[in-house]
Amino acid sequence: MCDTIVIGLGNPLMGDDGIGIRLVNDLAVEFAGDSVEFADAGTSGMCVLHLIAGRKKAFLIDCALMNADPGTIRRFTPDDITARNILAHLSNHEGSLLEILELSRRLGELPEEVVIFGIEPVRVSPGEYLSPILMEQMEYYRQLIGKELSECGG
Amino acid sequence: MPKTIDINVHHITRVEGHGNIVVRAKDGRVERVEWQVPEAPRFFEAMVRGRKWEDIQSVVSRICGICSVAHSLAAIKAIEDAMDITVSEQTDRLRRLALYGEYIESHVLHVGYLVAPDLLGLKSVVPLVASNPDLVKLVVRLHRLGNTIMEVVAGRRTHPVAFRPGGFGRIPTERELSGLRNALEDAVPDLQTLADTVYSLKDKLPAFERDTEYVCLVDRGTYTFYHGNIGSSDTTNTVAVQKFKSVANEYISPQSTAKWTKWHRDSYMVGALARFNLNAEHLYPRAAELARHFGLHKNNCNPYMNTVVQLIETVHSVEHSLELIDELLAAGLTREMPRVTPRAGWGAGAVEAPRGILFHSYAFDDNGICTGANLTIPTNQNHANIQKDMEKLVPQMIDRDQEEIRQALEMLVRAYDPCISCSVHYLTIEFA
Repeated sequence: MCDTIVIGLGNPLMGDDGIGIRLVNDLAVEFAGDSVEFADAGTSGMCVLHLIAGRKKAFLIDCALMNADPGTIRRFTPDDITARNILAHLSNHEGSLLEILELSRRLGELPEEVVIFGIEPVRVSPGEYLSPILMEQMEYYRQLIGKELSECGG
Repeated sequence: MPKTIDINVHHITRVEGHGNIVVRAKDGRVERVEWQVPEAPRFFEAMVRGRKWEDIQSVVSRICGICSVAHSLAAIKAIEDAMDITVSEQTDRLRRLALYGEYIESHVLHVGYLVAPDLLGLKSVVPLVASNPDLVKLVVRLHRLGNTIMEVVAGRRTHPVAFRPGGFGRIPTERELSGLRNALEDAVPDLQTLADTVYSLKDKLPAFERDTEYVCLVDRGTYTFYHGNIGSSDTTNTVAVQKFKSVANEYISPQSTAKWTKWHRDSYMVGALARFNLNAEHLYPRAAELARHFGLHKNNCNPYMNTVVQLIETVHSVEHSLELIDELLAAGLTREMPRVTPRAGWGAGAVEAPRGILFHSYAFDDNGICTGANLTIPTNQNHANIQKDMEKLVPQMIDRDQEEIRQALEMLVRAYDPCISCSVHYLTIEFA
């Protein structure tokens, strides 16, 4: 099992919600190796629980509504996020990723380091294409995330 | 006792997707009871138009992160029906094995993460880790087993990549199947513990009954999830899958944006309880024994029992998976290259997804390009029945405390294990 896993989340059939999947597929071409594994978890948030178990570091790449300008990419960790209804319920939609990470932590399986890259969408609606704003920034997203992957042996 | 009831559950928790419950009662008189949901993801029907026959399954597998295998297989069966493609025994067994992986994963997720908190008086499974860590770890192990089966057989933990019309793009090795066999055997004690736990809590499931029509696949002599025709508890006649539109009879309800379905009555139920009520005598031995232990018999019309039947089906899935693996290993695995000549046609396929019978149909032109599609998903077929259950339940409970009514209604919806428009995954983040 690789120490590091990079997980893309989202649905490539739903416009900008597919950004995580597209990025992880691109990054896998360049960075997949003995110490870094790449995974497409689609829209199954619960799958993340199993994918991160036993790893030292996990990257999650997902479309995120952060009240930022469309196309903005932000790097953050679970600690950076306010506990919005955290631990209150488990719903497999919106914000559930945080509950899954909390569950992982309580099970003693959470990696030492979890890094989330969120990208603000223009639109999340049916369509197999990214918005031009996100499309134009794909190279930048790849470089930003790739730089961090290189530093951890990817 | 309060006679004025005002319940407004917005985006009920611990279900897949969004749905609302609205109840208004004044002076003990029920004025409004509504189960509200958005329309199902019909855009997928538009999205496959213009696509090649061989690409359909990868598109529709993205409809849902939980029932991905079911959607893929229903699509593939429809394509094979349209183009008169037959498959080998090996392909048939491997597909059913993958589907069992999805059943184990989906049912355990529902019973363990989504329903168990209600039975234990908790808001979520997360605090359960502190109070009952061994139970949570067991649920995670079983859930993981389902994922592993899908990864080995379908090529990925979610959104299968190995399926093709006519066969498989990649088949597991005999060593991988033997590994799965060992993992399934190892899971039996965990399943027993989970069953014992649910049994100890069974009195927390409300004793509510409503005479209901149940609809599912029936295939003589088997507890089927994959083969067969469409059956109903209201008739001994079955209907060919190709005629599924005459079963679903979708119509617009003035009370909801989602379409309702009806067959012999105003509504019908699909899912685990439906399968049990039509096929229980064909459960494998351990599963049948568990059903007897719970005192479950055919003609059970308590929707809350859907969760218990999911547990029983999980046991059946493990039992039958072991048998399928033994059959595959005994026959020896053969690399088969599906050879398909696309042609014009229309076809339909049905699979029992964990939540109920799922229908896909497609039309293709001479070049195998899709010209139209029609998908009817299980949860859509349950909306009308949920509504009718609520209409009976609320008056029965009208003298109870509002919180008790709300909790019973939420548990009712969760019992159906609805999967509503769960086709996106974006996060909503507030920074500290």
